[in-house]
Amino acid sequence: MQHIKTGVIFGVLAGLFTFLFGGWSVTMLGIFAGAGLGLALENKLERGTQLAKAKEALPVALVAGGLMVALSLFGNFVVQPATGKFTALNTIVVAANILGFIAMVGLAMLTASFRGLDEKKEKTAKTILLAAIVIAFPFIDVFMNLRWTSNIIFALIFVILGLGLNIVVGYAGLLNLGYAAFFAIGAYTTGILSSPQHDIFLNFWLVIWLAAGMAALWGFLLGAPTLPVRGDYLGIVTLGFGEIIPVIFKNLIDVTINEPLTCWIIPGIQRLFGATSTVACINLVSHMDLTAGEKGINPIGRPILFGYEFQSNNTTPWYFLIILIIMLTVFLIQRMYKSRLGRSWMAIREDELASAQMGIDPVKTKLAAFAIGAVFAGFAGAFYAAYIRAIFPSVFDFSASIIILCVVILGGIGNINGVIVGGLVIMTADRLFLPALKDFLKGLLDFTILPALSSNPGLQAAVSQNANPILYRFLLFGLTLVIMMRVRPEGLIPSAQMRAVLHADEEIEAVQNDESKKAKKG
Amino acid sequence: MLELKDVHTYYGNIHALKGISLTVNDGEIVTLIGSNGAGKSTTLRTIQGLNKPRTGTVTLDGVQLEKLPAHEIAGLGVAQSPEGRMIFPRMTVLENLEMGAYARKDLTSYKDDLEHVLALFPRLKERITQKGGTLSGGEQQMLAMGRALMAKPKILLLDEPSMGLAPLLVELIFDIIKQLNNEGTTILLVEQNALMALSIAHRGYVLQTGEIILSNTAEKLKNDEMVQKAYLGVE
Repeated sequence: MQHIKTGVIFGVLAGLFTFLFGGWSVTMLGIFAGAGLGLALENKLERGTQLAKAKEALPVALVAGGLMVALSLFGNFVVQPATGKFTALNTIVVAANILGFIAMVGLAMLTASFRGLDEKKEKTAKTILLAAIVIAFPFIDVFMNLRWTSNIIFALIFVILGLGLNIVVGYAGLLNLGYAAFFAIGAYTTGILSSPQHDIFLNFWLVIWLAAGMAALWGFLLGAPTLPVRGDYLGIVTLGFGEIIPVIFKNLIDVTINEPLTCWIIPGIQRLFGATSTVACINLVSHMDLTAGEKGINPIGRPILFGYEFQSNNTTPWYFLIILIIMLTVFLIQRMYKSRLGRSWMAIREDELASAQMGIDPVKTKLAAFAIGAVFAGFAGAFYAAYIRAIFPSVFDFSASIIILCVVILGGIGNINGVIVGGLVIMTADRLFLPALKDFLKGLLDFTILPALSSNPGLQAAVSQNANPILYRFLLFGLTLVIMMRVRPEGLIPSAQMRAVLHADEEIEAVQNDESKKAKKG
Repeated sequence: MLELKDVHTYYGNIHALKGISLTVNDGEIVTLIGSNGAGKSTTLRTIQGLNKPRTGTVTLDGVQLEKLPAHEIAGLGVAQSPEGRMIFPRMTVLENLEMGAYARKDLTSYKDDLEHVLALFPRLKERITQKGGTLSGGEQQMLAMGRALMAKPKILLLDEPSMGLAPLLVELIFDIIKQLNNEGTTILLVEQNALMALSIAHRGYVLQTGEIILSNTAEKLKNDEMVQKAYLGVE
């Protein structure tokens, strides 16, 4: 029965999405929700033969698929007409719904059947399935004309940022409220080194490493003086840094650097002995516009691969580029997590004093977390700058830092898979779901509800102006976090450690139950 | 082997250690006894570099420790099983033990050492995959000691190993301390349970408000009238 509940959740969520997008979206969601449902079931099912597991998943998959298709058809024929979009019964709707249903049921059963394999094969099978979906996604998207890829790319940028911040917050346990600063440093390094702003056009494949290096350098420079500060205080210091960096980029529009020796050291000494200054000052840089302030740097160079220049209107290459960066990121972070360094991060997070007694240098370890975390923000920043082609200081303000922190917390602090899911959920909600909801509500209001209120034009205007969910995105965001913290404080996919902390009582209880069972047997 | 000479340590303005001098020779168990707030734990913290002495020297085999940071002192072969245990609650028992060996440069005998520790504390072997925070008090004490042993230290500092334990467990822990010493580990033992400590130690120091007021062999301290009155509860 509890599995049916999972099926209902997946079916309804997918159904709601199809409500807003209509058309082919039901097939796409069938694929995603089917695989997701299969994975969710797969984790809960006991081991058994493949066929048995597929059979076990069948009723759940049918419930989920049925709900999704029912909602989708209801949306197509009842709700969509009320928003003024007339969707005639045509072959696309029928085909999309049938395919969606098949995808949902088939993938859920297929994935659940992996439980019948032995552990190693199970992992391989899951990896192959996920890889197939990830690779097929942009092509299906183009074929179905949904145009989701560009938004998914945004989500993936935040996935990288989340993974980087997870090193600092999740592994080393250091609060960082200004992480977007490193994102900004990566983006501006890219902007300055490959744009007409300074007539420097370095190759993207070189700049992305320079951006990462620059971010790491600043992570080191910020960390060195502040890391002896502990806990909440470190949060405040990083908050300050996060505020300063965008302001610096906003104001670096009139840079003058004088060579110090002749400009103030020698004259200063002369003045000290009562002489008037006679040395001519040498200007190294005068009135240089480094960052173009509020106007932003534009246009920024795009990556070129084998003579092909990435284009803004073709998102598929960008998609694969960022997938590649994410794979590199995950690979590096996993290697680090299992290394000596990863161990010492964990130890520092647990107990700084005890780790020092074990021979771990706390300052070095924390600095490494800060600088390495910043590297990934540098990657993300370089990609972002090249993808958007224009960067403005306002993008990197405090709210960006908070969103990245929320990606980590919502997804599951300390867990790579959790952070990936968190990033996808938050950013697709923000960039896909809310705009679609806005259009949907606007259509519904303009076409059906407002005419009913026609007696009062003032009320009409007020309603139509305020019924824009994008206005409330931070409210909705906050609400989600409050609910999450109440219901599932360890995040969507928690790490073993966080589960241990937040559900310590349960674990101790389980252990004790175990023991009493053993005692009874003995 | 370990020598403290006229060590003065402060907490802010509070003069916690007022000129402590003591030595621990190779292969000895030396115990520091004294009442609450006498400076026993502070002495161990000073040796480990968690508190820096304002004046005085701490030397281990001729190497001066008092200016080094704590993690470097750990690397030189000083391991502590701290008061309140300070195990890593979210790591498993095995991971805790592995952390103990973090500072070791030579890991050739790592496997044997792990087996040895698990043989000393069979309870830890049963709980090897359990999270440190879910262990009972006595098991945490064993884990803290095991973790310190994994460092293969030149000198083992034990801070109140009997604190909060049932009498039976206290005896077990002290048996293990004795056994460790028989295997050649040098031990500096801080204890409130003076009788227990003096029964296994070779020599002892009595600490009162930051000063050493008495030092002698354990046997003689046990029979000392003042010690009997103040710490052993003999009328």
